[in-house]
Amino acid sequence: MITTDELQINIGPQHPSTHGVFRMLLTVDGETVVHLEPVFGYLHRNHEQLAEVNTYLQNMPYTDRLDYFNSMANNHAYALAVEKLAGIEVPERAEYIRVLMVELTRILNHAGALGFMINDMGAWQTPLAFGIREREKILDLFELVSGARMMCNYFRFGGVVRDIPDEFIPRMKKLMIAMPAYMDELERLLRENEILLARSEGIGILPREVAVSYGVTGPVLRGSGIAYDIRKAEPYSIYDRFDFDVPVGSVGDVYDRFLVRIEEMRQSRRILEQIIEQLPDASGGHINPKARQNVRPPVGDAYARVESPKGELGFYLVSDGGTKPYRYKVRAPSFINLTPLGDMCRGYKVADIVVILGSIDIVMGEVDR
Amino acid sequence: MYDVVDFLLNTQLGLNSPDWVVMLISHLVVVGMLFAVAPLQVLFLTYYERRAIARMQDRVGPNRVGYEGLLQPVADGVKMFTKEDIVPDSADKIVHLLAPIVAAAPVLYMFAVLPWGPNMIAVDLPTGLLFFFAISSISTVGLLMAGWASNNKFALLGAMRAVAQVVSYEIPALLSLLFAVMFAGSMSLMAIVEAQGGLFISTTDVPSVPDLGLGWFVFTPVGFLAFVCFFIAALAEGERTPFDIPEADSEIVAGYMTEYSGMKFAMFYLAQYILNFLLCAITATIFFGGWQGPGVAWLVSQSLSADNPAGNPVYNVLAGMLGTFYLLAKTYMFFFVMVALRGAFPRLRIDQLMNFGWKFLIPLTMINILSAALWIAITRWGTAQGFGIIEFAGEPGNLVRWVIAFAVTLVINVAAYWFLARLNVQDHAARQAALTAGGLAVSPPRSA
Amino acid sequence: MSNDTLTHSVTFTEAPAALTVVVDPTPQIARGSAVIVERRRPKAAGWSLLQGLGVVVDHWRKSFRKLDDPTQIAGTFTTEYPEERLPLPEAYRNMPILLFDDATGHELCTSCFQCQRICPPQVIHMTQAKDPETGKPVPAVSEFIIEYDACMSCGFCAEVCPFDAIKMDHDFELSTANHPSLTVHKAGLLRPVSYYQSIAPTFWAEAEASAYKKLEANKKRRPASIGIAPQMIEQVKAAHELRDDQQEADSPPAPVAIAPALDAGRAATPATASAAPAASDGDLPTDKAARLAAIRARNEAKKAAEQAAPAQAQPAAEGAATALTTPDAPLTDALPAASERTAPPAPATPDAPLDEKAARLAAIRARNAAKKAAQAEEE
Repeated sequence: MITTDELQINIGPQHPSTHGVFRMLLTVDGETVVHLEPVFGYLHRNHEQLAEVNTYLQNMPYTDRLDYFNSMANNHAYALAVEKLAGIEVPERAEYIRVLMVELTRILNHAGALGFMINDMGAWQTPLAFGIREREKILDLFELVSGARMMCNYFRFGGVVRDIPDEFIPRMKKLMIAMPAYMDELERLLRENEILLARSEGIGILPREVAVSYGVTGPVLRGSGIAYDIRKAEPYSIYDRFDFDVPVGSVGDVYDRFLVRIEEMRQSRRILEQIIEQLPDASGGHINPKARQNVRPPVGDAYARVESPKGELGFYLVSDGGTKPYRYKVRAPSFINLTPLGDMCRGYKVADIVVILGSIDIVMGEVDR
Repeated sequence: MYDVVDFLLNTQLGLNSPDWVVMLISHLVVVGMLFAVAPLQVLFLTYYERRAIARMQDRVGPNRVGYEGLLQPVADGVKMFTKEDIVPDSADKIVHLLAPIVAAAPVLYMFAVLPWGPNMIAVDLPTGLLFFFAISSISTVGLLMAGWASNNKFALLGAMRAVAQVVSYEIPALLSLLFAVMFAGSMSLMAIVEAQGGLFISTTDVPSVPDLGLGWFVFTPVGFLAFVCFFIAALAEGERTPFDIPEADSEIVAGYMTEYSGMKFAMFYLAQYILNFLLCAITATIFFGGWQGPGVAWLVSQSLSADNPAGNPVYNVLAGMLGTFYLLAKTYMFFFVMVALRGAFPRLRIDQLMNFGWKFLIPLTMINILSAALWIAITRWGTAQGFGIIEFAGEPGNLVRWVIAFAVTLVINVAAYWFLARLNVQDHAARQAALTAGGLAVSPPRSA
Repeated sequence: MSNDTLTHSVTFTEAPAALTVVVDPTPQIARGSAVIVERRRPKAAGWSLLQGLGVVVDHWRKSFRKLDDPTQIAGTFTTEYPEERLPLPEAYRNMPILLFDDATGHELCTSCFQCQRICPPQVIHMTQAKDPETGKPVPAVSEFIIEYDACMSCGFCAEVCPFDAIKMDHDFELSTANHPSLTVHKAGLLRPVSYYQSIAPTFWAEAEASAYKKLEANKKRRPASIGIAPQMIEQVKAAHELRDDQQEADSPPAPVAIAPALDAGRAATPATASAAPAASDGDLPTDKAARLAAIRARNEAKKAAEQAAPAQAQPAAEGAATALTTPDAPLTDALPAASERTAPPAPATPDAPLDEKAARLAAIRARNAAKKAAQAEEE
């Protein structure tokens, strides 16, 4: 009589496809996962405590480093929180510039996320290389306005640090031509690809109720069939001025998340088109001149959230009337979306684990903070 | 080679050497050439792959070392040599050491039966095809040894996957090659290549046309289907995307190679690339006529041989060069396809790989053998074989017979492909329906 | 090609009743709708694989030309870095640097500690200079250290600096095997204003006027050579000696020395021509405003010279330095006509199209200076 035994495998903290230092403690029966325990914390940098000894403005560049793929979105959420706390008005043009940057961020994030997910599936980097190519073009624009490609540090309380230069919009328009071509090509390469279908259909199903009970947000939640988008549910900034659709999945598997992300890129491009049309001239100014950057908000608390490319990114700030936040809390979408991983992976093969993880689209800088 | 050596030693120099000396010298020359060429091929292949895949991804690829980066593999080799050889503390040291040797050595033997050009073969074994695949299976043992000796879970998983994959894909690979044995009536690779001269399937089909060396098996429906099946199986044997499951870097780090470094790692790498090269070469040999191509037959007819003592030995060399050129060109073309596949597709999962192999490829190759039998019956048989019904189409080798055979086998093969694909898709769709039904509408929580 | 092992249903942890949310999957959405993404099936078995292969091979085919049009998505995208370089936008920020005035060698920094206070990783350290005689603090910095290895390139220091003394550099090739060398001291941080102007012309054009105005105010409060960039001390000293020699020899005014600057800086020539002799004669205006205008006009000329002919930048700078009086130089008798001397150049600017901006700035400053001088006279 042959006895079989379950095997424990550590995937991570050092592993090619854990997207950073993340550890999954797997119990496998053959190659089938019996139990998975995600272990976080290897990249803990004391972000929240650090923010409490910094002034409000000093925290802005640190938010870049939360989810280093989407520094603009992080800046936006933090700026919104401080503006809410201190009651700062934002000029019209600044709002448009902000949304412009954030939607560009969404495209670059999804281009990268899809590439990494397909990479985890074993494609030898071609979809990733295509995504990175488009991302580079967007990063060039970010560099043009903010001076940095990734750690933009572009937003300020009451606006943005400087107005967009004259050559920005023409370059942006050129990019708008390339974007749909890239998305069409990605679909031609992968959307009906039988190998991708075999690897993603029915894999990592996250049912609607389970997703909600875990508090999952972003493309993962929408992939599970719930049309919940903070841009629609609680329109912040000027999102109520744009027409765009919310793509949702019908099954809640990896393939749905893949499709939702592609569609979200298209919708972001739609928003960008409307921004270019509506962008007010520079006379309104790019920053509220009355807004002090060395802000001293009144005693109180504020929570501001945005639909970051990964989900609901929220900043909760408590002010004691001083120059530094008394309490600073980040609601990181990657972290919350990662919590149901154990449930999503149970019963699948080892090879599926990395794909499911890739479909959640995590950035460890945000998970561990 | 024998003829050329004989000509040089006995005719030109007048040494009157005995036959065995000529034989020995000619074999030594061939073997020496092969073993000089094989590692160079591997070096070039790594460079070729990196450059080609970089181009597919809008990159440039290695272009710094030497002219356009041609010396990059050399630099990599030097790096590999100088790396520290790390053996895990808990590894089985002896098996760990032996594994790369066991994996790499058999692959080199496979060169022995590969025909490079007319009369250019190290050993023209009558069972060349069998030898080729028999010896290639031995390196699987090396992979298992590596995985087991490393005492690493990833390595063990990788080794298990490798063995399962290689063993199950050898069946469709060999089944798809059986047609060539039937067509050529021999297992000798040289005989298989020589059977692909002429225009269609033998040189006698259209007497007025010169031997262009284009009677490749792939131009028949049987050969084409077999080619597709074999190439897919070859991808699995060579552990290439989409079947690079044993070393799936995103899942199990590097599979059985996880605990290897330095030269031992390079040995696995070497073995793998030689195997890939050989699989491409054997594809070219069996389906695309190997060294056959326009001009080779004419050069051979002008060259010096036992039948043609008046020939010029220069033509021997020229024929060999042209044949080798054709073979290498075809081989590199297939390798390019392998690279493109690697660039385009994700990888399958091990259970999907097994399903595909057992439920799709093997039935398809079985039906293809039936087609091959029909082909032979229609084109060659007559009353003597009890197949008199075909006599109306004329003598064996007639064009009409060929057309009938083409049509019949085409219909059978297309129908088989369509039927099997549909079965598999339906199977898949049913399973998807079951899965997705339980997706979003998962049963409500039990407490509710 | 399927996954039969997954037919067993995946069980999920039981959700507590309180957490069970009734979810409306398709809510009413303003200005848009919830679209269910289409899950496509391949048209024929194997067709989609060939299609994907086609995309890749197409890229291979097109990759033999360069992708330089951002509207395209195929072609080699690589920039082969050491040989090719992408242009850096003006806003590009890498590491902070300190600026000093090309002409006088004066650092723009006054050690106000703003950057040290704002710096999020706290890598900026400075000490204020003290007057060696009185021991009182002077608006200049005696030591300034930035730890480049811990700097996060956020650019706050450059944003808050009220004197435009600290700016973000474009040099990103800083890697070194010598870690301590990344703690950069003042001498390593200082760059001439002309350097910053060359990397970020429009940014500097915006900041220039107020920066120089504030510098002039601070220069007067700096005794001796305090606040002069270390790399400029020798040059400034030489300029002093030369000027002293000229005074002793009672030589004719210095235009000889400024000549190259004048020739090159066609744009600002009228302003310099009128102001420079006044300065080099030694009969410098005691009237502060007029003197400021004279100095500024001279700087302007030098800068214009640099822009017009970079090769002559060094001689021009030297020439200007030679012509210049340092703040501690004794001031000779007053020049009542300063306002008349500086005012006329303003109308002369239109015939200087080469460097309109600089000329316009000079004109505006000259006019302001004239106004101030007039006010001073009235008092």
